[in-house]
Amino acid sequence: MKLLIIEDEPGLREGIEKYFTEAGVLCESCGTLDSAISKISLYDYDCILLDIGLPDGEGFAVLEHLKANGKNEGVLIISARNSLDTKIKGLNLGADDYLIKPFHLAELKARIDAIYRRKAFNTNNLLVHDLINIDLAAREVKVNSIDLIFTRKEYDMLLYFIANKGKVISKNAIAEHLWGDEIDLADSFDFIYTHIKNIRKKLMEAAHKDYIKAIYGVGYKFI
Amino acid sequence: MKLTRRYNRATLIITVIVLLIAGTAYYTFINYIVNKQLDHDLMEELTEIRDFVKTNQRLPLPLDFEGDQTAFTLTNEPVAGINFYDTPYHKKRNNKTEPGRAVQTSITLRGKSYLAEVAISKEASENITQLVIGITILLTAFLLVILSLTNRYVFSGIWQPFYSILQQLKAFNVADTNNIKSYDTNIDEFKELNDAVSVMSTRVKTDYQNLKAFTENASHEMLTPIAVITSKLDTLIQDEQLKADQFAQINGIYTAANKLSRLNQSLLLLVKIDNDLIDDKSTFNIKEVILEKEHQLQELAQSKGIELIDLLEDKPITASRYLIEILVNNLFNNAIKHNLPQGKLYIRLTQRALTFQNSGAVKLNDQEIFERFKRGANSDGTGLGLTIAKNICTQYGYKLTYNFEDNMHLFSVMF
Repeated sequence: MKLLIIEDEPGLREGIEKYFTEAGVLCESCGTLDSAISKISLYDYDCILLDIGLPDGEGFAVLEHLKANGKNEGVLIISARNSLDTKIKGLNLGADDYLIKPFHLAELKARIDAIYRRKAFNTNNLLVHDLINIDLAAREVKVNSIDLIFTRKEYDMLLYFIANKGKVISKNAIAEHLWGDEIDLADSFDFIYTHIKNIRKKLMEAAHKDYIKAIYGVGYKFI
Repeated sequence: MKLTRRYNRATLIITVIVLLIAGTAYYTFINYIVNKQLDHDLMEELTEIRDFVKTNQRLPLPLDFEGDQTAFTLTNEPVAGINFYDTPYHKKRNNKTEPGRAVQTSITLRGKSYLAEVAISKEASENITQLVIGITILLTAFLLVILSLTNRYVFSGIWQPFYSILQQLKAFNVADTNNIKSYDTNIDEFKELNDAVSVMSTRVKTDYQNLKAFTENASHEMLTPIAVITSKLDTLIQDEQLKADQFAQINGIYTAANKLSRLNQSLLLLVKIDNDLIDDKSTFNIKEVILEKEHQLQELAQSKGIELIDLLEDKPITASRYLIEILVNNLFNNAIKHNLPQGKLYIRLTQRALTFQNSGAVKLNDQEIFERFKRGANSDGTGLGLTIAKNICTQYGYKLTYNFEDNMHLFSVMF
């Protein structure tokens, strides 16, 4: 996958670039609207990560440029503005998803993966990781050809883990992914533990392999 | 006391006092002039009598002439000079007593002293005095009526700009967009007042808008640095060489960053509600929202052993679904968070109200709970949840109240 990161805040841009590069994604990045437009004009990308608030203009111009040139890149908007108008404007201009700052890199990766899957494998809804086969359309999980039943939250979590395989995912990131702002963090940590225990057990029984590794108190890693 | 009444009272009292003084002065003055005139007449009469006595060497006949009553009395003690005095006047014609004026002097005739007395009726002049008093009283009454009418109508007309400004000041709301209208008047004081109030309200509104814009901008500006912190932490934890206590430190930073972010989102939401920026109104059944939340929070309630009982009627409302979800979420979460282990949670929805009732140990301070950044001792929330709930209710004209009965907290939203 080839990704263009358009974000003016260097600290954030570098963090995103590093995380995605390590996950095997080919990344390019820029911090201004001008350089973004010229990059899009020159190259093709699978996905574009677009910050709306850029120093030399609003990121919407990128969407308009893509539309005008008939390009089909998947676009994920990241914005500090949690306003319905911005969101609707972005989505109407052809963005695929909208993520509000601050976010966890794991969340960003999961969202980009989802966009990429929708764009690249329009016909193929199968997600494969090692022995795990997931039919995304039917929401069915097969491990070692054994059908596994997951609850909605467990299934959600499994996809999240696979998108961030090999990475340490913090409990905070998981909690925000599953519950958002609905409940307090401290409460959600207990549930995460319970869900992970269940997922782990189910995968162990089918694949005879421990996919999830706990990293001290901070989070989990899916291998 | 109203200004007009106060002013009315003052003018009336002053008018009455002035007219009383004027009346007394009139009366005294007229009386003085009348007496002077009568005394002059009496003096002439007396001179005539003296002339008569001198010429004829006898006393004139004591007769009632043109209303003058003359009497002569032989006396051993002659009075010195001429004395004028008031005296009752007996009218012989109809045997009536009237006020009168008399003069007294001694006359010497053939070595004998006589006391000559001439009396005259004062009735005619008395009538004038009464007329003057009558006119004065009438005038007073007339003046009082005119004054109070003037005060009532002219005065209130003059003060109309003042009342108009006052009315607008009472209705003044910094969050409102409409300004204080100026009242067209040609009275300088009111013009000044008008200008001062307009300038003040504009300044207050500008300040308020600036403050709100500042809050919003500050919150937004903070989100990017928080995003940097979060992403750096996400990168940092990839290093498995870190020690356990370092991970513990990172966890602390994660939690703080998360709280900061929630705080920011809450503040932004408050600003948006206050500014009425969320206007995606639609009509929906609030019961659906509650059932949805119930589904999401079931896990949490179960983990605390809370028994959840609901009694829900269908209740369609017209509002922003987004805001109503937040309202239900905040009240629901509080009812779980501030519940007792193995406690109870009742959710009731009727046509008139939505209530969340949960077990609790002590009554909360109902003066403070809806204020910003007031939170329970064991709460790790932002302290904005109930403020947001309250503001959402205010936005739609609902009433959010808190009660504590039978060891149960009760939050009610009255539609």
